[in-house]
Amino acid sequence: MAEDGRACYVYGVVTDDRPDESVKDLPAVGDPEAPVALVRHRGQAAVVSEVPVDKPLGSPEDLRTHARVLDHLAAQGSPVLPFRFGTVVRDTAAVADELLAEGHDDFARGLDRLRGRTQLTVRARYEQDAVLREVVTEQPEARRLRDELRGLPEDAGYEQRIELGQLVMDSIAAKRSVDALELDRRLEPYALASVSEESTSPDGLVNASFLVEDAKREAFEEAAEELAVHWHGRVRMRLLGPLAPYDFVADATLEGKEGDE
Amino acid sequence: MTVARQQQSQYLDRASSSALVDVVDLILDKGLVIDVYVRVSLVGIELLTIDARIVVASVDTYLRFAEATNRLDLARSGTETHGLPGLMDEIREGGGKKKTKGALEGVKESVSDLLRDDDDDDDAGDGEDDEDREPEAEERKRPRRTRGSPSHRERER
Repeated sequence: MAEDGRACYVYGVVTDDRPDESVKDLPAVGDPEAPVALVRHRGQAAVVSEVPVDKPLGSPEDLRTHARVLDHLAAQGSPVLPFRFGTVVRDTAAVADELLAEGHDDFARGLDRLRGRTQLTVRARYEQDAVLREVVTEQPEARRLRDELRGLPEDAGYEQRIELGQLVMDSIAAKRSVDALELDRRLEPYALASVSEESTSPDGLVNASFLVEDAKREAFEEAAEELAVHWHGRVRMRLLGPLAPYDFVADATLEGKEGDE
Repeated sequence: MTVARQQQSQYLDRASSSALVDVVDLILDKGLVIDVYVRVSLVGIELLTIDARIVVASVDTYLRFAEATNRLDLARSGTETHGLPGLMDEIREGGGKKKTKGALEGVKESVSDLLRDDDDDDDAGDGEDDEDREPEAEERKRPRRTRGSPSHRERER
């Protein structure tokens, strides 16, 4: 493969019990024509496809395809260890003899710990008008600045505008930490682990990922729905998943970590 | 029962997303990193990572928030806005009016070139305030991971 300018894109590792047909119709990163295949080694299999080495990866479609393949594998009820986007190895022989051979024990540990578990990710963002209204209601200073600006012509009151904007953003940041706690409090009981990160948008509340056992998934989804109802009108909530355990795979493969029951 | 659940699900959006921002947040910097010498490196990825993680906290953002706040129709604000007044009082003491400016100064130089876009800051008119109006930027903190332990503990401080 390497000789003809092609290499091996690796999506992740699964258990050997998956049939070849389960992946062959999936879309492939980098080259839509390339079939997705399994490279097997001692009870494990790497999910791979050929990519040309002269074309850089990283287009939006490449990212989507990477996720689509892994999420499809995760939804089939057997564990998958997602690799970082852009993992490319010389050829299939190298995948088996180097990657799978060397990583065997780590992968075995990860597959074992993630069996019957998937990732669910919650995206919460504020409804802008509703949250601004809260800020103006709760913060007398915001209200004062707002009233002050009301009477001024459009190009005046620059300082006040900055001050108001800053105050509003700070107030939303304070709300964010309170609300992110609330989300965690409600959903964590149904999850084995959780990870949260600040949203990258100014209206964002939080992005939170949870590792959920299959048996608890329904309860988790119900709790998420309850919260969405509770917050209706001020926060918009989305639930993505079941997904491949992107946020939890690194921990699951770590040696000596007794997070396992 | 079924009826009740169907009604609820209109509040929680379950649609799987192919929006780029969702995919980027989900997979970038996530997943197992393998360290074998047969690994081939393809360029094009690092840049994209940087772009996706940058959020602008600039004077422009403040002005946008001020603008949005000013055009709010308060007459329409009902009682639904009194969500968490007690908690809010508590928080306000600490973080209510801190200036974000100082903290942002450090990274300003490194990213401002990247962020400076075409619409320059000449719409408000008074040139006197120029030094206050430099764009400021903040690179978002890396996601806070709370491996294994409950994540709220870390946020509580």
